[in-house]
Amino acid sequence: MSKPDEKKQLHMTVNGRSVDLSVKPSWTLLYVLREELGLTGTKKGCEQGDCGACTVLLDGLPVNACLVLALQAEGCAVETIEGLGTAENLHPLQESFLENGAVQCGYCTPGTLMSASALLRDNPSPSLDEIRRGISGNLCRCTGYTKIVKAIQHAASRKS
Amino acid sequence: MKKRGIGVGCMFYGIGYGFSRQDISAATVEICEDGSVIVRSGEVDYGQGSDTIFCQIVAEELGVDYDQIQLITADTFVTPNAGPTSASRVTYVTGNAMLKAARKVKETLRPVAEDILGETDLVFRDGTVSSAGSPDKKVSFRSLAKAAHLRGLQIVETAWHDVTTKDVDPETGQGKAYSTYAWASQLAEVEVDTDTGKVEVLRIVAAHDVGKAINPSNVEAQIEGGAIMGMGYALEEEIQQQDGHVQNGSLGEYMIPTALDVPLVEAHIVEVPVEDGPYGAKGVGEPALIPTAPAILNAICDALDIHITELPANLENIHRLIREKGE
Amino acid sequence: MQNFEFYSAVTVEDGLAFLSERTEGCRIIAGGTDLIPLLRTQEVRPSHVLNILNVADLKGVRETADGIRIGPATTFSEIVVSEPLQKEALLLVQAAASVGGPQIRNRGTVGGNIATASPAADVLPALMALDAALEIRSLSAGVRVVPLTQAIEGPYNPGLRPGELITGIILPKPVPGTRGGFEKVGRRHALARARMNMSVVLRMDSNNALAEIRIVPGAVMPVARRMGEAESVLLGQRPEPDVVDAAADALAEGILSTTGRRWSSEYKIPVVKNVFKRVLQGLI
Repeated sequence: MSKPDEKKQLHMTVNGRSVDLSVKPSWTLLYVLREELGLTGTKKGCEQGDCGACTVLLDGLPVNACLVLALQAEGCAVETIEGLGTAENLHPLQESFLENGAVQCGYCTPGTLMSASALLRDNPSPSLDEIRRGISGNLCRCTGYTKIVKAIQHAASRKS
Repeated sequence: MKKRGIGVGCMFYGIGYGFSRQDISAATVEICEDGSVIVRSGEVDYGQGSDTIFCQIVAEELGVDYDQIQLITADTFVTPNAGPTSASRVTYVTGNAMLKAARKVKETLRPVAEDILGETDLVFRDGTVSSAGSPDKKVSFRSLAKAAHLRGLQIVETAWHDVTTKDVDPETGQGKAYSTYAWASQLAEVEVDTDTGKVEVLRIVAAHDVGKAINPSNVEAQIEGGAIMGMGYALEEEIQQQDGHVQNGSLGEYMIPTALDVPLVEAHIVEVPVEDGPYGAKGVGEPALIPTAPAILNAICDALDIHITELPANLENIHRLIREKGE
Repeated sequence: MQNFEFYSAVTVEDGLAFLSERTEGCRIIAGGTDLIPLLRTQEVRPSHVLNILNVADLKGVRETADGIRIGPATTFSEIVVSEPLQKEALLLVQAAASVGGPQIRNRGTVGGNIATASPAADVLPALMALDAALEIRSLSAGVRVVPLTQAIEGPYNPGLRPGELITGIILPKPVPGTRGGFEKVGRRHALARARMNMSVVLRMDSNNALAEIRIVPGAVMPVARRMGEAESVLLGQRPEPDVVDAAADALAEGILSTTGRRWSSEYKIPVVKNVFKRVLQGLI
């Protein structure tokens, strides 16, 4: 237990690497990822769980990082977009998004990719409806979702 | 009960600012000593793909590899004034400025190439400049660039393109309002749940005349995104204001469609080239959005045999019309 | 940013001890999907926040001799994939599946849905229709078990006293032949608050009359409740169209008698009748 405003120790893994930080209780996981760890690939959208721009995987499950208090991630494995693939070594989903023109402004893209990666991990051959449902928590204004859905279908069919 | 209907919406839209409002753009193309190309434009690529087509245009004109081109954009310190990135004008106006700048730069290189090859019927393609009549007489673009630099030539050109129109007659409304127009038709199929007023959009088919699709994938992407924005506009998006204050200014309260709400948009690109567009291209940014709401509303009217005069066609408004019709 | 003390309970006792020492200004966090936005805007300014997400005894779905016990820190996603619930309480699975989007369902909990007690909750009315009871514990008062229909005291007021923690949601074993159905009307198919929802549980007897009927509409009143006035029209009767219509009318009148006529009644009253009939028809 701590006094208000006193920082507490947080230990978690982020993209497979061990992280130890002092955080304030009111800090969200989103804040810690972006401001303390410099992992700005995860985007800040609405900060109330309504847009999915801040989607990361927490112990393998897609969650809104804005709705996780950092201290609630104690002992958890966090995966962000930085861990999905690199410029030299793109994840098949990232390749598929690029090939299929599924990226416009790119703001929803990291969150959508994280949701899609979790979907394909659990369900390597999803139906169209399952794909829609899997990304239903990620708002996109630019694309209308058509090319995003096709990119995910494409990536899934390639893997299998 | 579920009732289905089909509706069509058609539109035309003036590209650019029109009505004698200034509509100019400039672009700069520079060839470096090693043959790489630097392009400067004031336009902003926020995902619509203007960066991509500028590189495509310059690569096409100079016959170089797309990857040889470096682009600097939207930096008032170094990029020329391209006018705003709006009005569906960037391909049509700045694309033309790019084309002109690339062609001007070609004219600087031409005498050097003629000198080297001893021919005048030059073709710029696949990273080389060659003679059309004697194709084995060729020089690589890189070597040509180097040779031009060694002669002390400046291989940088800025070109302007101006589509400012005269105006229309204020009395008769006749004249040239816009320099060119884009045309489109969209079709929507809906299913209305008469118990709840919920409208599902089962299909959207969108055909857009864009003159020339310099990047077909990006044009499709614009059409698809715009159509879904049009769908949201038709069905559930509404800015609620009270005493001038927006009441629903958050993503949780201003409802845009999610992936579970949308059909996969079927985009059809129609190419009727315009003489004064770069490679015949016009614009598609705003046109993509325009005919969708009319198509959807017409489809609802077809399904329910009603007349809609109020947007959005949301749960409450549609169900009220259903009840009124039943009475 | 706020200042508060944060503590992650390890066991139920540990959490109760923390609560008992801090009766003022303590908020409990599980999934955080309701609480964290309030913390960010400072609509809520607790001095302490107790995290119960790590307490193993507060998680999971267990079949017991008398029915099913659900830990309050069980997420909506966990409810959706629970085999016992799919078999015995499909209505609850459907309600949980309708909440938010995947990210919300992976964090939001059934206990949180009850404790927030939003008038627009999806899972809370479904649990009422399933005759759920809440097990509530505190250090000072021990255990009390309350039918959910009696627990909620008002909108956003789950009737929890200082020091209390919901420790279980108990579903009685349904009589064989009992079926439940759920429908949610929203402005879009994900990330949408219910414009209304409808939970119906019924069981037919050998004469095709209704031996059991429970009706709980949601997002139409400040606090969801069983619509006894509509249930009594149907109970013991065959669900012929005129009987169903009469029940729907009683449902509407019951809602209006609770809320009075509001601006939303113009839409909600006719539509709730339609949705009720549709859910009922789907079960008989």
